[in-house]
Amino acid sequence: MLKAVSVRLYTSLLVLVGTMVLVFCIVNVLPGDPALLILDPSSATPEMIANLREQLGLNQPFYERFGEYFLHVLQGDFGKSIVNSEPVLPKIVEHFPATLALTALSSLLAVIIGVTLGVLSAIHRNRWIDIVARIVGLFGISMPTFWSGILLILIFSVQLGWFPAMGSDGFSTLVLPAITLGFVGSGFIVRMVRNSMLEVINEPFIVTLRAKGLPGRFIMYKHALRNALIPALTMVGVIIGDLMAGTVVIETVFSRQGIGRIIADAIMAKDLPVVQGVIFFSAIVYIVVNLLVDISYTLIDPRVRRTQ
Amino acid sequence: MRDMSTALNKRVIWMKMASMALAVTLVLAGCSGGTGKNSAAAGGSGTGEAPAASAEQSSTPAPGGELSYALATSPDQLDPHRSGLAVAVRVIRTLYDTLVVQLPGGEIKPWLATEWSVSEDGKAYTFKLRQDVKFQDGTPFNAEAVKYSFDRIIDPETKAANALALVRPYESSEVIDEYTVKLNLSEPSQAFLGNVSQALLSIVSPTAAKKDGDQFTKHPVGTGPFKFVKWDENSEIVVEKNPDYNWAPETVSQQGAPNLDKIIFKIVPEEATRIGSVQSGQVLAAETVPPQNILSLKNDANSQLYQANTVGLPYTLFINHSKAPWNELKARQALQLGINVEAIVKTLYLGTYEQAWSPLSPGIFGYDASLEGGVKPDIEKAKQLLDELGWKAGADGIREKDGKKLTLHYVDGSPNREKRNDIAAIVQQQLKPLGIQVDVEITKDVATVVYGNNNYDLYGNSQVNSDPNALYSIYHTTAPGSRQNLPNLADPELDKLLEAGAIEKDQTKREAIYKEAQQLIINKAVIIPIYVFPYTVAASKKVQGLAFDSLGYPIFNDVYITK
Repeated sequence: MLKAVSVRLYTSLLVLVGTMVLVFCIVNVLPGDPALLILDPSSATPEMIANLREQLGLNQPFYERFGEYFLHVLQGDFGKSIVNSEPVLPKIVEHFPATLALTALSSLLAVIIGVTLGVLSAIHRNRWIDIVARIVGLFGISMPTFWSGILLILIFSVQLGWFPAMGSDGFSTLVLPAITLGFVGSGFIVRMVRNSMLEVINEPFIVTLRAKGLPGRFIMYKHALRNALIPALTMVGVIIGDLMAGTVVIETVFSRQGIGRIIADAIMAKDLPVVQGVIFFSAIVYIVVNLLVDISYTLIDPRVRRTQ
Repeated sequence: MRDMSTALNKRVIWMKMASMALAVTLVLAGCSGGTGKNSAAAGGSGTGEAPAASAEQSSTPAPGGELSYALATSPDQLDPHRSGLAVAVRVIRTLYDTLVVQLPGGEIKPWLATEWSVSEDGKAYTFKLRQDVKFQDGTPFNAEAVKYSFDRIIDPETKAANALALVRPYESSEVIDEYTVKLNLSEPSQAFLGNVSQALLSIVSPTAAKKDGDQFTKHPVGTGPFKFVKWDENSEIVVEKNPDYNWAPETVSQQGAPNLDKIIFKIVPEEATRIGSVQSGQVLAAETVPPQNILSLKNDANSQLYQANTVGLPYTLFINHSKAPWNELKARQALQLGINVEAIVKTLYLGTYEQAWSPLSPGIFGYDASLEGGVKPDIEKAKQLLDELGWKAGADGIREKDGKKLTLHYVDGSPNREKRNDIAAIVQQQLKPLGIQVDVEITKDVATVVYGNNNYDLYGNSQVNSDPNALYSIYHTTAPGSRQNLPNLADPELDKLLEAGAIEKDQTKREAIYKEAQQLIINKAVIIPIYVFPYTVAASKKVQGLAFDSLGYPIFNDVYITK
């Protein structure tokens, strides 16, 4: 078990370095000169542009810039924003809790709605509750969040006045964005749980349990669900990543603070250190979440424990 | 849309509903008749003038209260000298003052300077300063502070943005005595005084600016009616009343400290959310209302609409003169006649924006109103001009000449601000019957595409400015080796006019010069002006006294909130 975890840690580290290389490459081969974006192109003189390029280190060769960046990141220094010269890491750390709260609540909603509807629809296959669950799943997957978010604002803020339309102070401002995002995640989970439940229900061991006369409810929740949850759990790991990416749109729609908003603005302003920093930071979070998911398999599924 | 079989039935219901609505409206109108007839100031397309609302209120302004005001984008800097965004100026105006103030129409009046004189050669401005002013951090306001501020703008260390262009041709300052300062220019400029009135040339506290350096933008200190409290990035900027304030310009009626205790600027980029938060009462006011909401808000009993046209250069399509065939007058005229601007403005802005006719917007000094209604679309004439140039329709309907297709590379900066991307799409459709293939490129990186690589035929832009001299940086031939002007234009006749306009002291003559320049630009089909941008604010009826300065920026000094 310990060995398995440490192997996972090593591979995670490799993924992390790979991510860093990839992000640095992508960001640095994009067309456009950051110096020109920072200075007003109609009033800046060529010397001013040259000076700024020098300051930003844009004149150095690619590998030197990467090497320097890599060393700094190892020391926890993600560089400074070229827009307002603020250090990147403290800025991310300051804004991450808001994104974390949003991702956590929406994941929780996604799991609760997704698992409940998925199980119900599998058990009551082809009855009305199954149809409802499948429609919810389809809507969740196919509705763009910026649209469903605005819809929720129009209904619950403008018409009913129950929740604030925007902002990031207090729990009430978290509700609408979390529902918007959680709905998307639940769509995937409903389908996943339903399918794996249906598969498990028809497996020989369930038939055996039934033949032994165990109560149906007990079979479903103690045996079938437990087996069906494993693929769903893998899904949750992926969905948390999706939801974190979704905050880029949702934080803008609901005018929330968070790292999604930071990266959206940084991309617009071509603020490379911030873009790199946020992507790299998100990669770390994503890797940690998936590591936790992998470890939790062993808790749910004794087979995984044994094979390890 | 409506089902035809039940149309008759529905029409009856419609008429009932309409008459009920009318009755309700009439009753409401009767009730509110006493309190400010045009408090909505709807459609008040004044040239940046304050809506008449504030003057006509029967309820008296009461001190206190907080105004929450939703901004469409986040300010980049709260350091006036470093900012490059109009949205930042909305906040900067509350924190800082300038030496002089400009009235709508262009007249310059005292503010932090009580009087001023210009030297014989037009190259030195001597300002007498108010002696009762201090910065929000307690630093006294004096000639040293003015000198520091202007020198700071031209110091490369400051990394000044738009302020640097505005301060030109400023060279140096001399402190004559504690409250007298002389600003020296490298050449005379009639636009200088107007520029000094602009928020980006605000006077900053030397103590704070020296101490905070790069971080001054996060701890701004000026002499303005409000002082800075905090800036939560992407969320809100809070300013509070400056209780010592007693030096307002004559453009506001409240001479002392403002009524409001606080203004909370919320940053809400999504327009549906922004308008939704006004309608749900979460904020009291929100800027930049989309046209479809302008129409519905005009009929909303709980909200009002403030509208002030911005002044400067309207949104204009610049034709690249260095690219064939657009270097030829007839080709440019074909675009001028082939693009139906009226149709664009009516379709996209539903009658809420005015069509632009000149390189300058109405309300600026020297604006030539005689150009209005001048250029009419004429497709046949446009086709004929292209025929004359030898561009003949090819098999696919696109014109060709010497085996080359007639294409036009249309560049616009994303995102779709004020539906500018939609303008590109309409122009594409409008030029198709003419046999011109329009390739639209939407890119945030116009700095590289337009200014760096000169890879465009048509590019749209606008500018807020207080003086017709704004034309100079766009249309005057640039010196060899330096960056090209926007339409890549080199026209000696226009150059002469722009040079003369920059230094002409006689206002009547100056006005005539700029009118001639505007006519020349339109007659030579240098550009295609599209629309004048109205700054719009949707506000709760509780918000009273919101006014706008000569450029269309909001002024909060007189704002108060009714219970």
